[in-house]
Amino acid sequence: MDREAELKRLMLRGLDGDPVAWRMLLTQLRGALPPYFRRRLSGLEADAEDLVQDCLIAIHAKRATYDRSMAFTAWAYAIARYKLIDHFRRQGRRVDVPLEDAAVLTAEHSVEDGVVRRDLSKVLSILPMRQRRLIEDVRIGGFSLAEAAARNGCTEGAAKVSVHRSMKALSASVSSHED
Amino acid sequence: MKTDDLIDALAAGLQPARPARLNALLLACAAAASVAAVALLLGVRPALADVLSSPTTWMKGLYTAGLAGAALWLSARAGRPGADTRAPLTALAAIVGLAMLWGAGELLAAPGGERLADWLGRTWTICGRNILLVSAAAAVPTFLSARRLAPTRPAFSGFALGMATGGIAATAYGVLHCPESTAAFVATWYTLGVAAAGLIGAVAGRFALRW
Repeated sequence: MDREAELKRLMLRGLDGDPVAWRMLLTQLRGALPPYFRRRLSGLEADAEDLVQDCLIAIHAKRATYDRSMAFTAWAYAIARYKLIDHFRRQGRRVDVPLEDAAVLTAEHSVEDGVVRRDLSKVLSILPMRQRRLIEDVRIGGFSLAEAAARNGCTEGAAKVSVHRSMKALSASVSSHED
Repeated sequence: MKTDDLIDALAAGLQPARPARLNALLLACAAAASVAAVALLLGVRPALADVLSSPTTWMKGLYTAGLAGAALWLSARAGRPGADTRAPLTALAAIVGLAMLWGAGELLAAPGGERLADWLGRTWTICGRNILLVSAAAAVPTFLSARRLAPTRPAFSGFALGMATGGIAATAYGVLHCPESTAAFVATWYTLGVAAAGLIGAVAGRFALRW
């Protein structure tokens, strides 16, 4: 699944005032930010945690500056980099923080996270595309059944049946792998 | 505070967010402050009605208002983290370039003996200073208008807001007070005055625009 698209969707719902999506987004960033800061602070753990909090507060307080036509990662990366530079400046250090590709923010994930992600998409790949989209919307994207049905152009009843069948197929496939 | 608690606190009671923009009311205040500063500190030209009906006055005003508009566009972009600022920078450069070309063409067309007088006018020594004086009155509301934004390069955003301040101030000064009317004069001395406001803004922005 495209991480940028996923984060952006959460961001847009957050802007519309959805606290659940907002919580999910901040939680995802809470996982993505520490590796970014830690690597550039050469391992000052306490500082990195402070910076993560600063950065989450900034992202929350300045969320209205996000332009819906822009990439979410580029916006979040610019804020994280600004907070890092500001942190150095406050310590009286002049450190050159190189401008990198914004994708570094979300690319630096723990190995475990990557494995889970890969497994998830492998498992989901047994489903037909239409069923797969529905289940992603409902079980991962956090959409309600009605919303997911509208997004995929079917009735709520059909979506419900489809998700139910997908879950059955998925659990059957997973248990047959484990046998 | 634990980060997880922080996230819970931030997400609880989340309100829908309207897109952040420059505050138009404060920008109107900046324009009003400029007009007031010209009227109170420098004085309004006599026969203002004649002045206001002359096309050269409006060309002057159009140039500086164009600078202000492009600089405000740049300020708005620079206040969005990660946004591309090339388009407003190009617009700003194009406006200055156009005025300089016009001024140069005017000087070339003038008889040789009059060129220096056209270029320096009678007020070249005080033009920049006066624009900065009026800018001082307009600076605070202009900078405050960007408060909802999030400039990730404070000095650059300060430059943009300083240029905008200078553009607004120069428009009030050019229309209400300044007696000069050649394009060469405006393209040189007004541009220098507005650019000086931009540089002062850049220095101020390093401190004033941190968040």
